[in-house]
Amino acid sequence: MDVVVTVIQITLALGALLALVRALKGPDLADRIVAVDLVLILLAGGLAAQGARSGVETFVPVVVVVALIVFAGTVLVARFIEWRDTQ
Amino acid sequence: MTVTAVIGTVLMVTGTVVSVLAAWGIVDFPSPISRMHAATKPASLGLALLALGAGLAAGSWRLSGVAGLIAVFLFVTTPISGHMLGRAAYLAGQAGHLVHDDLARAHPEPLRAGDPVRGGFSVTRWAALIAVWMLLWRDVSIGTLIGGTVIAAVVETVRRGFSRDTNLRVWGLVVFLVRYVGMVVSSNLRVAWEVITPSNEKIREAIVAVPLKTTSIPAALLVANAVSYTPGSLTLELTDHPLVLYVHVLHFTTIEDVHHQVAHLERLVSRALPERTTA
Repeated sequence: MDVVVTVIQITLALGALLALVRALKGPDLADRIVAVDLVLILLAGGLAAQGARSGVETFVPVVVVVALIVFAGTVLVARFIEWRDTQ
Repeated sequence: MTVTAVIGTVLMVTGTVVSVLAAWGIVDFPSPISRMHAATKPASLGLALLALGAGLAAGSWRLSGVAGLIAVFLFVTTPISGHMLGRAAYLAGQAGHLVHDDLARAHPEPLRAGDPVRGGFSVTRWAALIAVWMLLWRDVSIGTLIGGTVIAAVVETVRRGFSRDTNLRVWGLVVFLVRYVGMVVSSNLRVAWEVITPSNEKIREAIVAVPLKTTSIPAALLVANAVSYTPGSLTLELTDHPLVLYVHVLHFTTIEDVHHQVAHLERLVSRALPERTTA
């Protein structure tokens, strides 16, 4: 179990690095927010895997909060992009 | 290792593969909206599988229950944020090369809630909302009962604002959910295939307007959500009077193809949420 969780976390970290490449490259805000969302989701996934290894249940609220922030943040940025373009 | 732990581990590994393919996809895909195709479908499934798998692997049914709620939340919200971001990217002129574009000629009127409908009080719905609240707090007490009642009142008020005489058929909903899960899996397989195969030449992006037959807003929202989980399509806009869905497709063949696909989903949805004929 320990080995599997470690492999999962390393793989997720590599995925987060890939997503960061897109966040840096852009070219527009919409691309960056999609990429940053994905980094957060991969992070929450890694925490969930940690929860499976340690049996500590505190990962649940963290995953809930990440899911909420990803949604609220994306909607906010989408609104901002639409507002920016009407200016 | 118990059987549930093995299942949980398998789910976690699958979730990892799915989420990493999403990351690869947003690097690999050519245009902003196509990258949203790559991100929205796998991200929700990936985290849902990881959370569910972690719950099972830790051997706790309560954790798995909460993870299931997180999964439902993700499947409801991810298409909405994908839709809003896709529309914003389109308005920002980031849509890339489109073979066909119905949204350019449209003057969409945003979807609004209908007139509030009176009545429609349901003990089951209130009880379910309160139960979900208690499950989230992992506490059955007077405090969570009051909190749950407040939440249920808010949700019911919002729901009533959107209700245009729509019924709920349990059997239709079960059929819809089974097909929905199948769609989520096949759309993820499709995205995975697109990411693994190096060629992006077959991608022909287009935006197609699809008029909906239904006049019920809940049904239209469900169709919009389901479209975002069908392989190669993403809802970009939903307009009222009449209800028209604007779908972004990755592999455009013909307009009839897209219409046919959405009509199929609409039939499934209308069996789960039929309109009330005698109001």
